[in-house]
Amino acid sequence: MDQMNVIINSGTSIIQAFYEKKGSTLKDEYRQATAVAFMDKEDMNKLGISNRDKIRVSTKWGSVVVYADISHDGPHKGMIFMPKGPWTNIVISPETYCSNIPTFKGIEATIEKTDEEVQLVADLMRSTYKKYVSDTENLESIGQKPVYKRLDNDA
Amino acid sequence: MHEPITDYDKVVRNCSCSYCGNNCDDITYLIKDNNIVGVRHACRLGASKIINDNDQRLLNPMVRNSEGILEETSWDYALELTAQLLHDSIRPVLYGWGETSVEAIKKGCQIAQATGSVIDNQSTICHGATIQAFQKVGHPVTTLGEVKNRADVIIYIGTNPMDDHPRHLTRYTTFPEGFFRPNGRDDRTLITIDPKYTNTAKVSDEWIQFNPNEDYSLINALRVILSGGELNTNEIAGVDKDTLYKLVETMKNTENGVIFFGLGLTQTLTKQRSVDILIQLVEDLNRYSKWSMLPMRGFFNVNGFNIAMTSETGYPYGVDFARGYPRYMIGETTTIDLLNRREPDFFLAVAADPGIQFPGYSLKHLASIPTVQIDTHWGPYTELSDIVLPSTRVGVETAGTGYRMDSIPIYMKKVIDKPENCHSDEWILTQLYNRIINLKEAG
Repeated sequence: MDQMNVIINSGTSIIQAFYEKKGSTLKDEYRQATAVAFMDKEDMNKLGISNRDKIRVSTKWGSVVVYADISHDGPHKGMIFMPKGPWTNIVISPETYCSNIPTFKGIEATIEKTDEEVQLVADLMRSTYKKYVSDTENLESIGQKPVYKRLDNDA
Repeated sequence: MHEPITDYDKVVRNCSCSYCGNNCDDITYLIKDNNIVGVRHACRLGASKIINDNDQRLLNPMVRNSEGILEETSWDYALELTAQLLHDSIRPVLYGWGETSVEAIKKGCQIAQATGSVIDNQSTICHGATIQAFQKVGHPVTTLGEVKNRADVIIYIGTNPMDDHPRHLTRYTTFPEGFFRPNGRDDRTLITIDPKYTNTAKVSDEWIQFNPNEDYSLINALRVILSGGELNTNEIAGVDKDTLYKLVETMKNTENGVIFFGLGLTQTLTKQRSVDILIQLVEDLNRYSKWSMLPMRGFFNVNGFNIAMTSETGYPYGVDFARGYPRYMIGETTTIDLLNRREPDFFLAVAADPGIQFPGYSLKHLASIPTVQIDTHWGPYTELSDIVLPSTRVGVETAGTGYRMDSIPIYMKKVIDKPENCHSDEWILTQLYNRIINLKEAG
């Protein structure tokens, strides 16, 4: 099987919240904890993927590459759990049905195995929203540290 | 790796945690050279927030230059620029407020009024539906102290406190010894209702798994059984009929029951209707025994915003001052709906990270309008911000008041000194307010 239809359920995981609250969102540790789809073991076997393989999750609203990992909260066949964060945001539904809350849970999606890289937060924000760049092809990674110009006190 | 911390020179007791809606106020900080080196009693999440990662701490005000790179600048320049942008905009949105004090929120409300802004908080993406249901149906309320001393049946539905409110079970609901529950855990029954076998389900006496998006029918079925009706199918929302009958029997024969519910109910398709029907179930249950319910509020002061706003303007969140007086219309004056309609022309986030919290489709609009961040750490939203104003941490570097999930106000004290060039949210907002008033007077 190359592709699989699943339902996305998103929410807080203690590991994701730990790095988010610690304030290390730009770092690899946050990516490893947050850019993850926790899957049912049988679903992983069907797709032929093992722990920490990369998968592309696509919905009506967008598409993003994350790590696949085995869920310890199973069995939940046909459902993937994604911790809340910048990666999950790309694929969840903004639809509020006039009641102000976007639909974070229960979104239909397709998943497939991929070799593409899971992006770090700064790179993901740049390539997704393109606020300060027009062309996102062939750009170097921003990395895991804040990039800014210090005030030169001597000048 | 986890050696006991012995290298500290000061112990400060009875500090308040500034992470979740538990607002634990029994935390001890271990301090050395004005740095917190250890935390006692806090959970993993609280401790991570209190000790925090200094690599990404915002230390100086920054403004984006023409190359799109943030550049450090003076407070005077950054504040004047922010005030000017806010003053010139037609449809500004002031979002956030969940992780700051009510003192700062009050100042934010004055800015909203002076500039005709929409002021909104995280309720708009989490428990807003709960507040709508409370307004429509009423709220069978309780406090966590009552739960600790009286409750013998605890139900968690659509929430996983072991992951997002880790001390909820140990401090308030399940494990502590209470006045009428002298044996603590042994005197209580814990039931978790969730599509996943969550960490909370793992420590519960019973886990009931139901299908995602079918919470309304599940609760409806419980009401039918409770009112003496018969179910004519063997399965509702993926739950076996017998399990439901047994659950209702347990609920009826409880001395004091409490239902805690989370975003599992409000973020699925039925949204506020799920909470409506849960309130009705609790009403029905009160014919047989004492039942109450509480929402699991996320940030330490997300409830405080709703309370402060209701007392200042009459509305809990999504308050629009565009006409000079407060208006509130769900789906119209709420942040996500405004962003989805591409309406705002200025966006300020205070103590919140929309980059983590908002759907990508809504965030896309922030790429085309001026954005300002007032926060303590560099986060995903900083990558979309034009102006960054560094603030201080409430309960650590600044004193302030926060409201616990059961609406009990808790004063949070200042323990260590702030980084030199950071200022409290209240100070920043007061400066902004004064500058905006000056601009208004100048015409």
